[in-house]
Amino acid sequence: MTDSANAAEISRITKTFGTTAAVDGLSLTVPAGSVYGFIGPNGSGKTTTMRMITGIFYPDSGDIRVFGRPVSGARSDSVAYLPEERGLFRKMEVQALLEFHGELRSGRSVTAEVQAWLERLGLGHCAKQKVETLSKGMSQKVQFIATVVPEPKLLILDEPFTGLDPVSADQIREAVFDLRRRGATVILSTHDMTIAETMCDYICMIFRGKKVLDGTLAEIQQQYGNDTIRVAVDGGAIPPLPGVEMVRDLGQIQELRMSRGCDPQEVLRALVAHGRVNSFSVMKPSLHDIFIRIAGPAAEEVKVA
Amino acid sequence: MRRILLIAKRDYLMSIRNKTFIISLIMAPVLFGGGFLGIALMKAKPDIADRHVAILDHTGQVAALIIQAAQEKNTKELFNKKTGKQEAPRYFFETVAADAPSPDAQRLLLSDRVRRGELFAFLEIGANALHPGEEVEGQDPASREKAAARRVAFYSNSSTLGDVRYWLADAADTGLRRARLLQIGVDQKHFRDLLGSIPVEPMSLVVKDEETGKIGAAVKKNEAADFGVPFTVMALLGMIVMMGASPMLSSVAEDKGNRVFEMLLGSATPFELMMGKVLAAMGRSITSSIFYVAGGTFVLYGLAIGGLVPLSLYPWFYIYLLADLLLLCALAAALGAACGSPQDAQHLAIILIAPVLIPYFLFMPVMIQPNGGMATALSLFPLFTPMLMLLRQALPQGVPAWQPWVGLAGTLATTLALTWAAARIFRVAILLQGKTPKAADLVRWAVRG
Repeated sequence: MTDSANAAEISRITKTFGTTAAVDGLSLTVPAGSVYGFIGPNGSGKTTTMRMITGIFYPDSGDIRVFGRPVSGARSDSVAYLPEERGLFRKMEVQALLEFHGELRSGRSVTAEVQAWLERLGLGHCAKQKVETLSKGMSQKVQFIATVVPEPKLLILDEPFTGLDPVSADQIREAVFDLRRRGATVILSTHDMTIAETMCDYICMIFRGKKVLDGTLAEIQQQYGNDTIRVAVDGGAIPPLPGVEMVRDLGQIQELRMSRGCDPQEVLRALVAHGRVNSFSVMKPSLHDIFIRIAGPAAEEVKVA
Repeated sequence: MRRILLIAKRDYLMSIRNKTFIISLIMAPVLFGGGFLGIALMKAKPDIADRHVAILDHTGQVAALIIQAAQEKNTKELFNKKTGKQEAPRYFFETVAADAPSPDAQRLLLSDRVRRGELFAFLEIGANALHPGEEVEGQDPASREKAAARRVAFYSNSSTLGDVRYWLADAADTGLRRARLLQIGVDQKHFRDLLGSIPVEPMSLVVKDEETGKIGAAVKKNEAADFGVPFTVMALLGMIVMMGASPMLSSVAEDKGNRVFEMLLGSATPFELMMGKVLAAMGRSITSSIFYVAGGTFVLYGLAIGGLVPLSLYPWFYIYLLADLLLLCALAAALGAACGSPQDAQHLAIILIAPVLIPYFLFMPVMIQPNGGMATALSLFPLFTPMLMLLRQALPQGVPAWQPWVGLAGTLATTLALTWAAARIFRVAILLQGKTPKAADLVRWAVRG
């Protein structure tokens, strides 16, 4: 393994299935030691990109390098991949299954590591249980352990928090950060914008196979400026206001998007005229809002953060 | 290679620890040998119900002689000489004079008696059956009547394959010959000499002992062994191959349905995955083969008939077994990967079974003329070579020395090509969900990857 400042470098990759371009001329760089998040609507090409980084799919064109080396057909024990779907041998005992996966990737016994991870994620009592007896959340955690034992240098997680309760989600989040602290690079995909905002050092949005956003959260938000107002106001629904392009009702508060050149003070005056203003803040747009602006109706499945 | 072996080890241990493996180990020979078991059971419990047969004799001369011949035969066969137990039906005859207004009316009368169960069958002796003369051709009414007059017809409700017709044909033939001899004045006391048949016994070739120079005696060949050994060896090979390949198809389809492969593909390549599963299926079959081959050999030597299976056949059995297993298990992996649902696995199973099933249909013609052009060509067809070449090698006359090697080369080449194509199909199809590929898709994936 060569030292490289970047864990993954992707250059103009394209992958087509039949007549559909799943990934179309995508380029990006994943800095080593970072948590890099993919966001995008369903079918936008996130999973295909992750599979290509892992080597499961080959790009039709373009180049992928992991730690400076081109991705070939052979598997590396330093790259681990957690698919979105749960796919475990249901008839195997949890401990035996995890040892099998660990040994398959590393070629050595991983018994002690498996036991430690089971205890850490609260599954110590399930070691001798068959996988088919586990709940969905427990299976997801088992699958996560199967991915991180032995510890990889590049961890690729496709929707790792799907189906997890808040406690389990926190356990996985902590585990991911712990792995990052120990030097691992993490690439993850998520539909949960809060996770992307809070966990990821870099965020890349893929839409219809193409990269439409890439950078830190601050860099992305900077592109949009302070064009968002969050306001809590009495007096019923907010009527159309001059300089306000869109009003989104978030329940207790409303989010207003201002058009370019609009003065927030003018908006405030108009709101006061409408009813009592309980709170008013001017801010950068949330990642959720940016997502909606880009993906529009195609992003219907996106979770409300 | 490490990953292939690890996947193979997991799959192998999971499959042989499964109780279905033990059940299949016991049930497979019962299913594959079911036909022979049925024959054995029918022999043990023969149908010995009385048979009432009427003889409509248009010659007016032979009915009595036919009945006499039939009763002599019946008396000989009726009881088992050792146990004294009846093992053949008892025949009762009645002679019917040809005196109805028309032959058709009389046939209808007798047919109705058969339908009512009063008779099992009736024989109609044509007026010229005693001296049938030249064969009559033509389909006009007169020709048909002439043809009917020179034959013996058997009317019955039973299948044409039923044994009563053959049994009566022998008696009718003897009766007619005796009538002819009586007509030319031959005394009945000469009938046995004149009409007795001499069996032609199958004997082995005589060999000379290379060390002592002594010429050994020929031994009488066992017809059952000549048929049974080659067939059993061939059937055993087919059965063991299917015991590995058939579960492989459903296992890959099931794992695909459970989305197990994507998780594994993060750690192993599609080829490593497929070959691991193929090796596991081969291991399962070889485990079964050890059970059957060792058990069978033990029984044969225990019965002091171990020599029935030449020792030179054992290595060939295992060479063909390995080649056929690799070929069909790789095919099973590709087909299983292509399945979009468990129903697809059932539909595609016929493709997998064909290379084993077709030799079963062909074995009899191959055994009758094992070195004929058709038998040679079929046994050199790579998909059939393991079973049909082995069958021919197990026959006493054997095959020319070059043929097994050429057949094996063809099989290995086909196995390599199919495994290569299967790996390409497997790689593309294994992550494809919710779609059942068409034959054209499979070919495209095999060619383009």
